[in-house]
Amino acid sequence: MTEVVTKQSAEEAALDERQTRPKNIGAKVKRTEDPRLLTGRGTYVDDRRTPDALHVAFRRSDHSHARILSIDVTAARAVPGVVAILTAKDLTEATPVHAESRMPSYYATPIRALASDKVRFVGEPVVAVVAESRYLAEDACELVEIAYDPLPVVTDPEAAVASDAALLHEEAGTNVLVQREFKRGEFETEMFAAPVRVKGRFRFHRKTPAAMENRCYLAEYDTGRDELTLHSSTQVPGIIRNALSEALGMPGHRLRVVAPDVGGGFGGKASLYPEELLVAFAARRLGRSVKWTSDRMEDLTATSHGFDEIIDAEMGLDHDGRVMALIADVIGDVGAYSIYPWTCALEPVQVVSFLPGPYRIQNYRGAVRAVATSKAPTGPYRGVGRPISTFVTERLLDMAARRIGVDAREIRLKNFIQDHEFPYRIGSGIVWDRSSFTDCLLAACKAVDYEALRRRQAEARSAGRWLGIGIASYAELTGIGSRISVAPGMPLNTGTETAKIRIDTTGGVTAAFGVASHGQGLETTLAQVVADKLGVRVEDVRIIQGDSNAVPNATGTYASRSTVLAGGAATLAARIVRGKAFKAAAHLLEASPDELVAEDGRIYVPNTNKTTTYKEVARAVYLEMGRLPPEVRGELEATSTYDPVLGTTTSSTHIAVLEVDPDTYTVRLEKFVVAEDCGKLINPLIVDGQVHGGVAQGIGAALYEEVVYDQQGQILTASLVDYVVPAAAEIPPMHVVHMETSSPAIGGYRGMGEGGTIGAPAAVANAIADALAPLDIEINELPVTPERLFRLIEAAKSRTGDEK
Amino acid sequence: MKPPAFDYIAADNLEGALSALSAAGGDGKVLAGGQSLMPMLNFRLARPSVLIDINRVPGLAYVEATGSTVKVGALTRHHALEMSPVIKTHLPVVAAAMQHVAHLAIRNRGTIGGSLSHADPAAELPMLTLLLDARIGIHSPRGRRITDAGDFFVTSLVTSLEEDEIVTDIEFPKPARESGWAFEEVARRAGDFALAAVGVTIDARDRKCEQARIGLMGVGETPVRAHEAEALLRGQRLSDTLLDEAVASIRSAIEPNTDLHASSDYRRHLAGVLAKKAIRDAWRRADGDRQ
Ligand SMILES: Cc1cc2nc3c(=O)[nH]c(=O)nc-3n(C[C@H](O)[C@H](O)[C@H](O)COP(=O)(O)OP(=O)(O)OC[C@H]3O[C@@H](n4cnc5c(N)ncnc54)[C@H](O)[C@@H]3O)c2cc1C
Repeated sequence: MTEVVTKQSAEEAALDERQTRPKNIGAKVKRTEDPRLLTGRGTYVDDRRTPDALHVAFRRSDHSHARILSIDVTAARAVPGVVAILTAKDLTEATPVHAESRMPSYYATPIRALASDKVRFVGEPVVAVVAESRYLAEDACELVEIAYDPLPVVTDPEAAVASDAALLHEEAGTNVLVQREFKRGEFETEMFAAPVRVKGRFRFHRKTPAAMENRCYLAEYDTGRDELTLHSSTQVPGIIRNALSEALGMPGHRLRVVAPDVGGGFGGKASLYPEELLVAFAARRLGRSVKWTSDRMEDLTATSHGFDEIIDAEMGLDHDGRVMALIADVIGDVGAYSIYPWTCALEPVQVVSFLPGPYRIQNYRGAVRAVATSKAPTGPYRGVGRPISTFVTERLLDMAARRIGVDAREIRLKNFIQDHEFPYRIGSGIVWDRSSFTDCLLAACKAVDYEALRRRQAEARSAGRWLGIGIASYAELTGIGSRISVAPGMPLNTGTETAKIRIDTTGGVTAAFGVASHGQGLETTLAQVVADKLGVRVEDVRIIQGDSNAVPNATGTYASRSTVLAGGAATLAARIVRGKAFKAAAHLLEASPDELVAEDGRIYVPNTNKTTTYKEVARAVYLEMGRLPPEVRGELEATSTYDPVLGTTTSSTHIAVLEVDPDTYTVRLEKFVVAEDCGKLINPLIVDGQVHGGVAQGIGAALYEEVVYDQQGQILTASLVDYVVPAAAEIPPMHVVHMETSSPAIGGYRGMGEGGTIGAPAAVANAIADALAPLDIEINELPVTPERLFRLIEAAKSRTGDEK
Repeated sequence: MKPPAFDYIAADNLEGALSALSAAGGDGKVLAGGQSLMPMLNFRLARPSVLIDINRVPGLAYVEATGSTVKVGALTRHHALEMSPVIKTHLPVVAAAMQHVAHLAIRNRGTIGGSLSHADPAAELPMLTLLLDARIGIHSPRGRRITDAGDFFVTSLVTSLEEDEIVTDIEFPKPARESGWAFEEVARRAGDFALAAVGVTIDARDRKCEQARIGLMGVGETPVRAHEAEALLRGQRLSDTLLDEAVASIRSAIEPNTDLHASSDYRRHLAGVLAKKAIRDAWRRADGDRQ
């Protein structure tokens, strides 16, 4: 079968039900990768022992924006153990990579392995030293002399927009790398007519993914065959393979990108990196294996950042709290380059795409400019744009609720798109299909006992305590298919996924996918689906993923896509393999395939003693000459490609309960509740874990994490002492409620990997604003560090003259 | 993030460590728990030509109560101090403060001597030695000397140690049994260096303060004692006015730094509210509330 499948019929789904006894989908199966990962037996790229590998250290720019005048490597080259020193001049055969897109007014910055004539952020790789050990490479790096002519820094995105601002990319003619605008309805007249208007300037500061495992690349080069295998801690091995093919001018069959165990990504490993290109170039140039392992300082300065936006937004409402119009202008500080393949539009454009949220807001204008600055490039980061859009919209709703005097829960219930209105096209053009908007809010309120909590808050307030309750509701598009492009016109199909399932001569089941799990437990989740659809046990299924060779068009794991797309493809392919096995089994059992049922690896006719196993069938098909007629001896194998076309809508409500200490102004999170609808649950344990991790990351965005550059463009948060990531002690107990409204996708799944990070910042911001309502403080800037709270509270106290 | 090359000597005894250190002529560094030194080496902020590892030197890790003092060996690990029954009995303020030092993995390795010698102005142990008027025992090829904690901390990350000296022991005078104490700290996360912290001990008779000690950290280049506020409390009974006066005195006596995590003003604010709470709690304990 070659066609891409976009849906399954009811009969096909019914066939699965009749022919199997599913017991894994929906079960709390313990993650099969965990024994390996938790006992130190995982194999990350850095664990791979390649005896003769050379090691790379980069001399990176210490200027924010400067012209490179000269590079002197004489002293460095003399260090014993140094094999090669590479600069941009040495890489002339390497083609720069561009993140192409059809967006009008978009400029795709060239992406090179090493800076060529200018440096554009502190931490940009300029010189690569290749040596027998990393220690020696670093010693030599110190001896490289680079002369720079400093250029005006471009650190303030608002100033960078001005026509006379210094340009980061002269060829672009502007620092605005792309601008877009979404409009719908009579937003101006409705805003003007609205009796209640709330507005603010919102600031969401820059974050960095800070995965536990730093990035690591190892290029193994086979000189005899001119074949290159890049072992990469990437989320997108297939995408990297394609980019390398272009950059190196090598066809894909001599290029392989493998992502072995990967220790978290959060979007930071979903793009192509200069270091990745360099390692591959160097291996081929030197005819040796070449390795680079990022240290934490490099990770914090040169892995893609995320979420750096300034949003001026206004919401108009009627007296009852119904939203009449929403208008927003967004500036995205996207850093120095337009990241491959997603483009710099990805993050800021998503902000305006999702600002209307799960609400009936028909009059909308959202405009966005993605502005280049001399800072590290931004890229995808868990939640992409939506943590920011949710923060802004949910804050505006709370501000309006307070102004009008309605409860935070009521104002949301009034504005949610109702069940009978789906599918619903929001102001930015996104279409929501049915999902539990209202039910999630009600379920979350029930789980925290909202009324009792409000009573407790009243008591706390009268005792002088600052207790706050914050609600945030949102919807997200997940598991997107081919109709929806992450960045319009990019040369990349993110909308399909392929499953290749085969049963070998021993009866072993191997299922290969283009996804690349980096902590999500996909080896378990997908095995559950394959096991149920074939009628075997989870332990009978081996999942292959994280390998550009697994299927012809592998991209990877990003954008909460993997379960929806790979789960669908697995269902389709397993059905075909089961059909083939049933034909052979029917022969062996002298039965009709229609009578058969598969369960735990057995294939039998119910209520008879006619029974065989997949193992037996495999032996008969492959090994026992003459036992089966030729027409049922074909390989027990199938490849299916699934495209959910539009994708699925996931929705959720988060509630944060916290107290602000009236003396120290520190925040203590007391409780966090999430009610979410990711459709049919495959593994509730894994879903809970994803929500917990996402919420922790959202709490980081709300209270702790901020990448700080000074006015000279120097990065001040280059260690984990200064870039503050919350640890277990900072994360409150969480309670997760699941709604499970089936989706139109095969299996009824919806994507859910990013969600926790989307809701938590807004919920925490709303809770703090609620706690500080007696002081009339709004929270418009995240993270709300103790220092920011100190300034807000002191200012409020001096306003009211209530100085303690 | 790899250190430049260095030589490594594992000393078997104190004499060996001292002679190796003095042979290095100012270019050697003592390696104790390595929790501060290793990051400095990896960042290439410290570039010693030789490391003298003292972890195998016998007789440097102990906690002992003598008649009037508690003696602690320089190689005692943070966690050993935290769990020591001697410390819990005689220096409860130390036991309480130790829980704020970093994380368990770091406390298992980090040493008392290392923490004092490193002299981070936001670290707990330097402040505790100052608060409790501890005396620091130091060895060099020239012999032994003892210095008051007050004379040891010169400025941020700088002590009065000479290049060839090794801290060997710390002696804390035992406070009176009924002495009240409290320790209050604010850090961004559990285990982080403090934005500000306050330690207090109070001796009271008939609810009147006979002696008060107030130590602060994270609010200047070294840990500090609030001598003026201590004097304000002496001979007084606890009252809100007295507390406010003490807080005002503390706030005007300190000159905190501004960094990424907190401004000078916020640190000053914290010093005040933490001192207020700590003085109140210590006083309550001194008055016989043993909770
Ligand atoms: C993530 C993290 C968080 C931390 N948080 C805190 C915290 O909240 N509070 C806190 O107080 N500390 C904190 N620390 C520091 C920790 O307590 C260190 O253990 C301590 O500062 C140094 O002790 P060490 O034995 O590891 O010394 P080392 O790292 O071995 O040495 C530090 C310095 O002292 C010198 N030195 C060591 N021993 C001696 C000696 N006996 N005589 C002379 N010189 C000596 C060394 O040469 C070196 O210059 C933290 C550390 C980390 C990594």
